[in-house]
Amino acid sequence: MNKPTDTDGSADPSVFADASQLANGDAPMVELVGVSKFFGDFAALTNINLKVARQEVLVVIGPSGSGKSTMIRCVNRLETHDVGRIVVDGIELSDDVRNIQAIRRETGMVFQQFNLYPHLTVLDNITLSPRLVRGQTRAAAEAKAMELLERVQIPEQAHKRPGQLSGGQQQRVAIARSLAMEPKLMLFDEPTSALDPEMINEVLEVMTDLAREGMTMVVVTHEMNFARQVADRVVFMASGEVVEVGTPEHFFTNPSEPRTQAFLSQIL
Amino acid sequence: MTDTAPTAADQPTDPPLWSPSPSGSVSTWLKKNLFRSRLDGVVTVVAGTIILIAGFRFLRFVFVTGRWQIVRENLSLYLTGSWPEEHLWRLVVVVVGLALIAGFIGGFSAGRIDDDPSRAVSLAGRDRLVDLGSRLWPLVVTVALLLALTTTIGPLLVAAGAIVAAVAGNMAGRAVPGGMSAVPVVVGVLFLTLAGIWLLNAGLSWNSWGGMVLNLSLATISIALCFPIGVLLALARRSEYPILRWLSTGYIELFRGVPLIGLLLMANVALGFFIPNSLAPGKVVRAIVIFVLFTSAYIAEIVRGGLQSVPPGQIEAGKANGLTPIPIITRIVLPQAIRNVIPALVGQFISLFKDTTLAGAAMGLTDLLGGAEASTAQADFRGQGLIAETLVFVLLIFWAGSYTMSRESQRLETKLGVGER
Ligand SMILES: Nc1ncnc2c1ncn2[C@@H]1O[C@H](COP(=O)(O)OP(=O)(O)O)[C@@H](O)[C@H]1O
Ligand SMILES: [Mg+2]
Repeated sequence: MNKPTDTDGSADPSVFADASQLANGDAPMVELVGVSKFFGDFAALTNINLKVARQEVLVVIGPSGSGKSTMIRCVNRLETHDVGRIVVDGIELSDDVRNIQAIRRETGMVFQQFNLYPHLTVLDNITLSPRLVRGQTRAAAEAKAMELLERVQIPEQAHKRPGQLSGGQQQRVAIARSLAMEPKLMLFDEPTSALDPEMINEVLEVMTDLAREGMTMVVVTHEMNFARQVADRVVFMASGEVVEVGTPEHFFTNPSEPRTQAFLSQIL
Repeated sequence: MTDTAPTAADQPTDPPLWSPSPSGSVSTWLKKNLFRSRLDGVVTVVAGTIILIAGFRFLRFVFVTGRWQIVRENLSLYLTGSWPEEHLWRLVVVVVGLALIAGFIGGFSAGRIDDDPSRAVSLAGRDRLVDLGSRLWPLVVTVALLLALTTTIGPLLVAAGAIVAAVAGNMAGRAVPGGMSAVPVVVGVLFLTLAGIWLLNAGLSWNSWGGMVLNLSLATISIALCFPIGVLLALARRSEYPILRWLSTGYIELFRGVPLIGLLLMANVALGFFIPNSLAPGKVVRAIVIFVLFTSAYIAEIVRGGLQSVPPGQIEAGKANGLTPIPIITRIVLPQAIRNVIPALVGQFISLFKDTTLAGAAMGLTDLLGGAEASTAQADFRGQGLIAETLVFVLLIFWAGSYTMSRESQRLETKLGVGER
């Protein structure tokens, strides 16, 4: 496995924002260059510069309304950025529908509210895209889906509908649904925030396994233990800006920015 | 699988109208439900008296004072209009064929829903008969009444044939593997329907159709056409292309703003202003066009409501999962949207079914209602005030059809698990 390593506890975000020096010279999986995004007059994102190396796990933290969701939703074009460039796996996001589709095909996303298709069984939720987008046969897609359900440890739920599952089970189905498209990158937007406390761990365990297997992940979360143990780097955002980027160690021992310190002291 | 096999007890049923509480007696039930307070008691007594009087008068009319000879003698006029004797076999083929198709569709959809063990509803033997009986009794009663009124054995044989065909179709439908796509079935049903129309038309040009056959044909053809058109209009009204949005909005607001009978009259007498008479289609086609134009506007608004009820997260999930816009609409949004508005949709279809009588009135077609009126002018029955008998008969037939549609839509709703998330 090729995990980026941190050699320097320096406070200069630009050092850490450049992931290419951390990885082994590969092109980054995700690159945001000078990205800004406005909702009307309101700047939701201001000049974001960020690279995510291949196989890196990047955890994004920050207060509510700081633009975390907006940022990762720009990566698969659920939101359109107004300024700057976003490149995913060498494909630049533009108005070209083909580029957008190409990026979405290889990017999985897990939502806070699961967003499973309530009218379809768990199995159909997982196989819909592989069949329609990847052209897999039903048999092949279902075999693969069962494998994934084994992996998230709920094969016995295959024929139920989402409404019959607990929140934790639904979120694990949602992860399986994304994985079925064999993505190169997974985006998580507060995947455990809508869960009852006793279900948070089952989802975090699946995500931790995924990280160990080398998936490139961008995870917006408030689970600081997950950030500490699984993240390669942590990004702190506030008011639509990246305030600080660093290793978990740096973040949880001596964050350099006052805003980061204030935020962490509140939640830890 | 650790699921326990679902039993008949899992099946949702209507609450019983009267269930003796285990500890109570009739008098406690009465006290609890009808005479809880003084006001309750007054309401119960007044309403009860009215119901008793009305019920008595109605039953006396049906069994004692009603002169049903007119219905008995005009049965074929009411049901088929002036359908020529030598082409009767075509009707028989179509009726039996329709029963086969209906059975097949029922079995096919039940098979697909049951295929999913989480909501399987399997009823065996007697339970199944009871279930069918409680669902379809208005139709059964009506058909039985019709058979009782006939004087020949023919209709009885047709009814028996239709039942056999429906059962056979149902079994065939259930036998289709659950994984199979519904597309060939839909195409097949459409093809058979068109073949049936052609078969009938070859016997008697459909502009000469009449009776209940006409009402049923107008209703089914119009429903089949206005539903997809309504869905497309609803999608267009929410489209990101302004032109589509404007056109669809204009269309919807235009047709929702005018009375149906005005449109039918216009199609009947004023079409000549727009199209040369030699090119103008026959009356039945005109009526269908008007019904489709009119009802699709309402369907569009109903479906639009359904579309709004689908959370935006569903579309985002589809996009994030790599789906392109068309599968997102057809596989994710529309199924949920339509499920959420089944009662309103079926209500609209029921309206359309009943409004087919307006085609008779406005366009001079002898539909079921028109036939009933015409029969009171026959030499044998003229001037005897028999309109009540004929109208009661007509209304019974429409009620049986409408009530069955309504009941079946509720059942479909429960089966599809509407409201479950
Ligand atoms: N569709 C939208 N329209 C207008 N404002 C929005 C929209 N989406 C998000 N915002 C605003 O952008 C800011 C950042 O939102 P978001 O990215 O959801 O924050 P976070 O995920 O960090 O809580 C918030 O102030 C929010 O109100
Ligand atoms: Mg958010």
